[in-house]
Amino acid sequence: MCLAAAIAVLIYFARDFEWHILWRYRQFLLEGLLTTLVLTSVSISLGMVVAIVLATTRLYGPRWLRYVATAIIEIVRAIPQLLILLWVFFVVPELSGRKFTPELSATIAFIIIAASYLAEVIRGGLMSVDRLQFESGYATGLSKASIFMSIVLPQAVRNMLPALLATWIMLFKTTTLAYVIGIIEFFHAATIVNSRELIPYTTYAMLAIVYFVCCYVIAVIVRRLDPKYVLRSA
Amino acid sequence: MNWRPFIEHADVLWAGLFLTLRLMVFGIIGSAIVGVTIGALGVSSQYFLRQLCATYVEVMRNVPLVVKLFFLYFILGLDAFPAALLGLVIHQSAFIADVTSAGLRSIPHEQTEAAFATGLGDVQSFIYVLFPQFLRVTIPAFTNQAIELLKNSALVSLIGLQDLTFVAQNIQIETYRYKESFIVVTTLYVALTFAIVGVMSALQRRLRTH
Repeated sequence: MCLAAAIAVLIYFARDFEWHILWRYRQFLLEGLLTTLVLTSVSISLGMVVAIVLATTRLYGPRWLRYVATAIIEIVRAIPQLLILLWVFFVVPELSGRKFTPELSATIAFIIIAASYLAEVIRGGLMSVDRLQFESGYATGLSKASIFMSIVLPQAVRNMLPALLATWIMLFKTTTLAYVIGIIEFFHAATIVNSRELIPYTTYAMLAIVYFVCCYVIAVIVRRLDPKYVLRSA
Repeated sequence: MNWRPFIEHADVLWAGLFLTLRLMVFGIIGSAIVGVTIGALGVSSQYFLRQLCATYVEVMRNVPLVVKLFFLYFILGLDAFPAALLGLVIHQSAFIADVTSAGLRSIPHEQTEAAFATGLGDVQSFIYVLFPQFLRVTIPAFTNQAIELLKNSALVSLIGLQDLTFVAQNIQIETYRYKESFIVVTTLYVALTFAIVGVMSALQRRLRTH
């Protein structure tokens, strides 16, 4: 209900914004939005693969490998994401000698970020399944692999769904950092339009509205799935 | 590995670290105050107050920090440090408000009823009964939020504020010492994270002995 009031207030104030100017650039802005969505989704998908490797290493690997995986996850989660992006763009080509396009660097950096957050999500999901389930499986005589596949994994996936969507939201907001590398994602596109047409309030209002709508929809789904989940920051 | 450039530029590095430290300390204090207030108002008995706080939390949480920083610095025209601090506080306070609301809701309602039965008012029961219990429960979440604030403070280099990330980038561009730069900056950020965790654990230990 308050949202309706907020929308009413917004419409009242935004009546004399120059939306028609923005409407002329709709293709450019929509392409930027598409770039953002593609970047987010690709990093989540490929990051999930890396995250599964990292999480299983951290939980079930030999001891020295467990330390390595834990170190990687904790260090990547402790340093700012902007730093990771800048290092991948500037340092890795220097060290490996090959040139990276901005898109490739951004994708690799976001995959690294997504993988470390998702590794924690997966670990949380796997650890949230009661130990009783393992023991019941052993008691019934199933092998370790089959217990994992048929009993533990479905429950773990169901438990990690809210955290997974929350990571999507976090990554969606983090893609604004690709601005510094020069990728024309949604935020960069909006700033380009703004610097050309000089309609700052309209542009930033549109930015706020679009980001709010995209993230809020997913946040409502998360809250529907698990009312007690507290979304983390980004 | 050659560490000379960092020893030569140590004063610049220290200035950047000091700015990040200032942003971190004022940011944590500011966002904690604002966040706890809004979170506490978000579980009050007034319907409109609750909805207002929920709207603030949702809007400020879903808009990226970069958008807020650019808006405050370029559009509203604030100076760099106030814009950065305000942006960080507004951003992080929304998450802290959510954590606070969740923590306050987790306290059993019997506590509030007992406080009312003893004759305490709304605000008084909050200060003397709910708040101490809530602090004990939510310090781990606060620690997470403080660390997130530290990581988000790196974004202020996009406005041109000379924090640790900005200074490290400068040194790296001038001296081409990528590996050493990476190690130094990572170590500094991890050290700051440990400092936050240490302070929060000390706080938690002090609260438990009460």
